[in-house]
Amino acid sequence: MKKFWLNLSMNRKLALIAIVFGVIALFGGDPYGGTTIKINEKDIALSTVGNSDKVSVTELADWIIKDKSDFELIDLRSDEKFSEYTIPGSQSIPLPQITSSDLMRNQKIVLFSDDDVAASQAWFILKSKKYKGVYILDGGLNAWKEKVLFPKAPLNAGKDELAEFDKMKEVANYFGGQAQTDSSVAETKQQIKLPTPNLSTTKTVAPTGKKKKREGC
Amino acid sequence: MNAPFFKFDYFNSDVSLIIAFVIGIAFGIALEKGGFGRATILASQFYFTNMRVLKVMFTAIVTAMLGLYFLSVIGFVDLSLVYLTQTNLLPMAVGGFIAGLGFIIGGYCPGTSMVALATGKLDAMIFVGGMIFGILVFGEMFPGIEEFFNSGFMGTVTLPSYFNLSYGLVVFLVVLMAIGAFTAAEWGEKKMAAKTGKEVL
Amino acid sequence: MTSITKTITKALEKEDGHVHEHHEPKSYSNPYLVGIGLGLVLLAAFVIMGRGLGASGALSTIVAVAVNTIAPEHSTGNNFYSEYIGDGSTNPLMDWLIFQTLGVLAGGFLSGTISHRVFKGVEKGPRISTRMRFVYAFIGGGLLGYGAKLARGCMSGQALSGGAVLNLGSWVFMMMVFAGGYAAAYFMRRQWT
Repeated sequence: MKKFWLNLSMNRKLALIAIVFGVIALFGGDPYGGTTIKINEKDIALSTVGNSDKVSVTELADWIIKDKSDFELIDLRSDEKFSEYTIPGSQSIPLPQITSSDLMRNQKIVLFSDDDVAASQAWFILKSKKYKGVYILDGGLNAWKEKVLFPKAPLNAGKDELAEFDKMKEVANYFGGQAQTDSSVAETKQQIKLPTPNLSTTKTVAPTGKKKKREGC
Repeated sequence: MNAPFFKFDYFNSDVSLIIAFVIGIAFGIALEKGGFGRATILASQFYFTNMRVLKVMFTAIVTAMLGLYFLSVIGFVDLSLVYLTQTNLLPMAVGGFIAGLGFIIGGYCPGTSMVALATGKLDAMIFVGGMIFGILVFGEMFPGIEEFFNSGFMGTVTLPSYFNLSYGLVVFLVVLMAIGAFTAAEWGEKKMAAKTGKEVL
Repeated sequence: MTSITKTITKALEKEDGHVHEHHEPKSYSNPYLVGIGLGLVLLAAFVIMGRGLGASGALSTIVAVAVNTIAPEHSTGNNFYSEYIGDGSTNPLMDWLIFQTLGVLAGGFLSGTISHRVFKGVEKGPRISTRMRFVYAFIGGGLLGYGAKLARGCMSGQALSGGAVLNLGSWVFMMMVFAGGYAAAYFMRRQWT
């Protein structure tokens, strides 16, 4: 065996090595499925329990008004729902496509959908893929509508609470919503209309809006 | 540690430019050592007198393919994060044919012309000028040919997924094909050398 | 495994260890060993960056930036140029492929210098004038630039990098390059042989 090997010319040796690797590859399995990533369960469990991976809707509203741009706001709902209404500045990545998106692992990412469920699923997927700053919008779009777009006046409000409510009214107006005072709730309950998405504030309606440089040659 | 390192943010894009330079140097050395800085050697591929281009290229493909395959199978590289150019079948076939014509007429391809330029070949300089002109013409014509450019879109599709074969089997077939091609090339070179009485460069 | 590396290094030494006259260009190395080296460079690009090698992309970026500088309103309406210029958040010249191509120039020069293969000259067969060779070089370069853009990549970006990740389009491209080359080889024989 050894003699056979030594007698081969170098080119033949290389060819033989390549064939051996090729044969092993026949039984090697699927390279796309082989990736293993270690998940630090403790870390994930801690951040879930501690609510540190959640962003409240009022916080988010504040960020948008202040024009903070250090985060990516991701709408996980379907494209149709996205075009109906979305939070200004968000981009649409439906949940099934979350793994093939071009989000970066060092970005601050805020996920939302109608409620918390889809966002939590996406949060776990991204976390397990080593994305660092992933956050869930607490309560999702439902909470956004309830607390930001159409906030209700507190019953028997004190002075401070009224002042607070005035602020919320302003915020609601900013986003095209309307604060609900006690009387107007009854009247307009049927006709609460979602503001139509304002194209100038929605960053990424079309994929051309944010064109990254191509990677190929 | 997971790879590709850049996709896992082990370093930022500024560092990636330094890495680009270093990888480029290694690429340039390999091309130069392979004799790819000389148009006469590159062109002789098409007259069956010297099959270096085929040998170097297919050996490189086989090496990188095997390496990437095994590194992915053991879970080190996340293959889904390795960039795949999308496939537009017809534009790619037509573009490939035009590029092939350009290869034999001009004597270089883009990468090798850079090496030839660096080693003082004046025709490579002209060739690079021609390439810039060709790209400019393409850019100016682009609005008119955009439809064709985007036709035949198939997404990112690999040989295994297209032919519905296992990845490992395709790897094995590519190795076999390469070795078959090498054997034929060695045999052909000897035949041609006997015919022309010239030694292979 | 060590015996394999030993044989490879030994063979490399043999290849370069020939006694040469000074300043006599060294003969080129064994193509299979060079191929392995090139393959390892490509593999390093995949593992470190998650992308392959390229060449024509750097020239495209330079062309796009030049057009954008001369006639900005002309380039923004053109999807080809705008793809290389990006969204303006980053300098398009601070680009991976440009730095990689600069490296190729440096690496080629370095390797050529060490092997005494850097000298001013024109690559052509004996039966053609230098002037005609330049004309052909320009035409060929133009066709390659055009074809590579139409095919979304060149020999390095498509054939080599795409070939190693078994990309369907890249293999089609590679076969068509060889087809085009062999188809026209007969008509170009005066230039090369």
